[in-house]
Amino acid sequence: MNRDTAVQFAYSIGTFAVTLALWQGIVRGLDIPTYFIPAPSDVLIALSRGSSLYPSHYLITLERTLIAFAFAFVLGVTCGTLVSEIKILERTLYPLLVALQSMPRIALAPVIIVWFGFGSSSKIVLGAFSAFFPIFLNTIHGLKTIDNDQLTLMRALGSNRFQTFWKVKLPSALPFLLAGANIGIIFATLAVIVAEFLGANQGMGFLIVTQSNQMDTAGVFANVFILSLTGIVFHYGIQFLRQRLIFWSGGNEMSGERN
Amino acid sequence: MVDFDDSNYEFVAVVGPSGCGKTTLLNMMAGLLPSTSGEIQFQGKRLEGPHQEIGIVFQRPVLLPWRRIVDNVMLPVEVMNLRPREEYRRRTQELLEMVGLQGFEHAYPQELSGGMQQRAAIARALVYDSKLLLMDEPFAALDALTREEMNMELLRIWDLTKKAVVFVTHNIPEAVLLSDRIVVMTARPGKVREIIEVDLPRPRSLSLMGNPRFGELADHIRSLFKAAKPA
Repeated sequence: MNRDTAVQFAYSIGTFAVTLALWQGIVRGLDIPTYFIPAPSDVLIALSRGSSLYPSHYLITLERTLIAFAFAFVLGVTCGTLVSEIKILERTLYPLLVALQSMPRIALAPVIIVWFGFGSSSKIVLGAFSAFFPIFLNTIHGLKTIDNDQLTLMRALGSNRFQTFWKVKLPSALPFLLAGANIGIIFATLAVIVAEFLGANQGMGFLIVTQSNQMDTAGVFANVFILSLTGIVFHYGIQFLRQRLIFWSGGNEMSGERN
Repeated sequence: MVDFDDSNYEFVAVVGPSGCGKTTLLNMMAGLLPSTSGEIQFQGKRLEGPHQEIGIVFQRPVLLPWRRIVDNVMLPVEVMNLRPREEYRRRTQELLEMVGLQGFEHAYPQELSGGMQQRAAIARALVYDSKLLLMDEPFAALDALTREEMNMELLRIWDLTKKAVVFVTHNIPEAVLLSDRIVVMTARPGKVREIIEVDLPRPRSLSLMGNPRFGELADHIRSLFKAAKPA
């Protein structure tokens, strides 16, 4: 760690500490009831109290999210590739998928639970369905914005379609694939939790609803805290991949297309 | 439209003002564009598309940023599936030394200066042993000093590899300095105005630019451009 990042790190920790202290002080000072807004200390107690309960539910949600994301990634990249490489599919499928994309997919959660039941499959389906679109659209975007000179070079070398795809298009599109993945994993997490809210007997979403019904707000916060940590891990995981795979890309495609 | 013969080891420059179709002509010669009228023949056969014995260097180096220099130079070998690989790897190494990039084999393009990137692009065009090298204003993006240095480098490389070169440029002194013959084109419609034999001795050096004959040739080309311009 160099000096700048060390200083930045110290500032971040400091800000967190002050925020938590203020939060604790205000909640205690104004005597706000725990079921309304729990103090950080209450959340901490809830965390330790739930230490036997949370891991199993957490692992289930994590597993569903990762499976959903994996499906979405494979399908999104495959469909994106087919649509951008094959003219007839671009003409036919693309408009349909764009129409689907503008639909608020979370709104389908109740129906998906009717179709796929209370088990894991409904969560995975909703998660994959949500995460599919950002990955799909970013793949297309990436494959469509290739440096023209690179394509001319490949043509001059007598390259066939597959060679051009593997050697130029796919590597070029990689920053966009990762941008899509970054958004996709967030969407998958959200969708899995929402599906667990609506109909489940396991998972973090289920736990949150149960605790909420029992006025265990500190428990809910504890769950949200765990999920936030997971989100941070995902984010840095993809950042890590980014540095490894697309070290050569100066541009900032990380924002990506959100839908 | 244009007809010139590039039999063995000749350096031909194509000069003309912007918009006279120099680049278009070069792209046709590379088989990247169909010829608008007439036909382009290479080795006695009509050119139908990109040809493995024609190498091309563009205005920009067009290196793939995710490949190391050595892998960029090997790209044509992979695409054309040339074997044995080992031999081409050795050849790549030799070419990189020849263009002055030894020690940078494992660098990424973006770590190199513009001139060095263009050197790598030249090595890439030479790796598959093309007979004809097409160059589309390859040094236009470089600063004046680097450009002169690259001109001398190119002559040295050309002398070592003994290939026919067609070199497009809008820089008159560059054309005179490098070539055996100069095809002068005029704009709208793109036509060959004159083909000039450059009777300057080889090997050439930058000091040749002070030679009176050099000045005469350059002035002559300039006058052709002027005459072509509608008053």
